[in-house]
Amino acid sequence: MNCRECTEHLYEYLDRELTPQVEQEIRQHLADCPPCGEHFDFERLFLDFLRARCRAHGAPAELKRRILRELFDE
Amino acid sequence: MASTPTPPTPPPTPTPAADAEKRASFEREALVHLDSLYRVALRLTGNPAEADDLVQETMLKAYRAWHQFEQGTNAKGWLLTILRHAFINEYRRRTRHPETVDLDAIEPFSVFDELQDDDPQGTFFDRIVDDEVLRAIDELPEQFRETVVLSDVEGLSYEEIARVLEVPVGTVKSRLFRARRMLQAKLYDYAVGMGYIKGSAT
Repeated sequence: MNCRECTEHLYEYLDRELTPQVEQEIRQHLADCPPCGEHFDFERLFLDFLRARCRAHGAPAELKRRILRELFDE
Repeated sequence: MASTPTPPTPPPTPTPAADAEKRASFEREALVHLDSLYRVALRLTGNPAEADDLVQETMLKAYRAWHQFEQGTNAKGWLLTILRHAFINEYRRRTRHPETVDLDAIEPFSVFDELQDDDPQGTFFDRIVDDEVLRAIDELPEQFRETVVLSDVEGLSYEEIARVLEVPVGTVKSRLFRARRMLQAKLYDYAVGMGYIKGSAT
């Protein structure tokens, strides 16, 4: 696998959407190629950052009460 | 016009025991996804009051159609499909308009390429607060926004996203790629504007 092929699978790899075989080929390339490794590390950091920033917020408690009332007449 | 995701089957005859069982299974499998539904609704409508209404309506529709839900399958995906249909049919007209986006016109911008010398570790991300990230997501065109929220915020697989959005998996992949690059570009511009990073001399 070369750098271009590896980068084409960037997000599929980080999203765990590849077959074990392709995933293994990429892991091997990343171990052998520091620039690609650095790039993938950066992108993983970005995705972790997105998730952490956006998941902090949930539904307001009042909405939950409202829905329970509406559904089950509480 | 979108329709309900599964073909209609007659609801079971209500008895007190059946009602109790229905309520228990709905609480166990559907209500646990309330936070996810709310987060998606908020990003779709861009408005907390409308997000409340959209989630409430989704839960009511889901409860009424609960006998159609195949127990043991993905309740989160099923609920998100109902939510998205409700949004398209009733809210989008009133709030945001669907944008037509020329995919090819979007030049993918790789922040990593810009940062290679300056901040290859992406430490500037640490200084960007929640609200700024949410604002960047809200500025994305709708089709990119919903894809990135389902993936990066709610953690759905490509296949699950494809089912909720009713598009091929290949479309999910290309939207995700572009959405993430657009987000990176927005956050990079913001970080440069705030002086967190130098920015490339152009």
